[in-house]
Amino acid sequence: MGLAFNGNMDPELSSLSSLGPETRAQRREFLKRLAMVAGSSALLAELPWWSPLRAAPVSDSPSDRVRLGVIGIGSRGSFLLANLLRTPGVEVAALCDDYPPHLEAALAKVKGAKGFSDHRQMLDMPGLDGVLIAVPLFLHARMCLDAFAAGKHVFCEKSLAYSIEECQAIADAHRGSSKVFQIGHQRMFSPVFLRALELIRDGQIGQITQIRAYWHRNGNWRNPVPATGPDPSPFPSLERRLNWRLYLDYSRGLMTELASHHMQVANWFLGARPVSCAGYGSINYWKDGREVYDNVNLVYRYNNGTQVIYDSLISNRFYGMEVQVMGPKGTIEGETGKIFAENPPPAPGIVQLINEIEHGFFDTVPIGGPSWVPELKKDTKGSYLVREHTADDGTAISMAAFANAIRAGKPIPGMMEQACRAGVSVLMGHNAMEQQQEISWPEGFRE
Amino acid sequence: MKDIVISGRRIARELWICAGCVLAALGVNVYAIIRFHTEWKELITTLHITLAVAAVFYAVLALLRGCVFGVMRAFRRKAA
Repeated sequence: MGLAFNGNMDPELSSLSSLGPETRAQRREFLKRLAMVAGSSALLAELPWWSPLRAAPVSDSPSDRVRLGVIGIGSRGSFLLANLLRTPGVEVAALCDDYPPHLEAALAKVKGAKGFSDHRQMLDMPGLDGVLIAVPLFLHARMCLDAFAAGKHVFCEKSLAYSIEECQAIADAHRGSSKVFQIGHQRMFSPVFLRALELIRDGQIGQITQIRAYWHRNGNWRNPVPATGPDPSPFPSLERRLNWRLYLDYSRGLMTELASHHMQVANWFLGARPVSCAGYGSINYWKDGREVYDNVNLVYRYNNGTQVIYDSLISNRFYGMEVQVMGPKGTIEGETGKIFAENPPPAPGIVQLINEIEHGFFDTVPIGGPSWVPELKKDTKGSYLVREHTADDGTAISMAAFANAIRAGKPIPGMMEQACRAGVSVLMGHNAMEQQQEISWPEGFRE
Repeated sequence: MKDIVISGRRIARELWICAGCVLAALGVNVYAIIRFHTEWKELITTLHITLAVAAVFYAVLALLRGCVFGVMRAFRRKAA
């Protein structure tokens, strides 16, 4: 039995993808049904990070409750917090942010949570099972290592770390540990992407011959900065604190903040890590003092000759975001959630007959016309991967998986490998653009 | 206002014409299936298209009948 996310499979789960669980009760019901799929699907057995979802439904008993803290409650941290508050069996016991406006706003939303401005004090709090880390990239490694040292389970937002050395340090610290580690690549838990993987394994598009991914926006990628505000330390200014993504001391820009999602999908679907990559980046539009590129273009090479082509820019949003998995039999677009057959089945005979009559009446008769027809994009509608698109992009399920794994006390298999592959891939891309040369997968890196 | 009376004979005749149109549309579907080598189950799965084609046939036939009736009526008036 395969995944049951569309009409030709388990009807019980056909509505799974359309469920945007808003309350704890709804989410509990959702997770019950999810556990049934997770327990019965052959494909899911190959997705080790889904294993925590096979656990028995969580009760309201205090013994089932997982006490978590959130470090970093900016835009992403707030989103994760909102999801945590709706996850059954989770108590948000502590909140930490060294930017007072963020901490105050979060404490106002969570009754009974204790506030901290220093993550080390929060890690010393008794009874805390784990932490969610949603801080600027350059702090990921430090906070992950501190949390592991304090014996806490860790959910770290993507991308894994600021440098390849830091990725290795996190992987080394976690190896042999009994603590749960989870990375914030929510597509690993998205029903749409799981269905895409199922179709790929089923040979619906044939061998993957190329993956093309892009993320385009049109905006300066800035947060507004107040004229005056609290002490920005450890940042030298409020501008750098609130717009850390634009500065190389804290971030690797479009690669770590956006590309990591699609590189995780590419590595996952190909079941491999890139051998090397090359590419170029520049600041060609937003020349406002930022240090990270506003457009990037990269090619990743894999062992079997497949290439992943990635580009991102923030001065045009016409094409939006997409990850296109291509093979000789078809194309899957993960973000749109569609599959396009190279040779779609013919229309019914009567429709073909009507079309023929219509063309006979209305088509012009070519006289010495062009011998070459432009090979423009095929205008086929394709079919949706799941019956309805979900309001949840996988974040809600990933929160439940994290809580279940803590409850079970077992690390999530395969998670660190996915985190390292995506994290290192984007840093290879950054290095390739900075050094303007082909960069290989770091020799001796242990996932 | 003048009542319009439709006789039973007239209704029966229209129903027979309707049935003929549906049969003709089915025949077109059979021809299309044979010509384009598609599946026979299309006789059922494309029934909605067949009925639409039948409606078009009926409408075209009604238009032709209207024209013939109009011309005949004009001739009769002239002869009278």
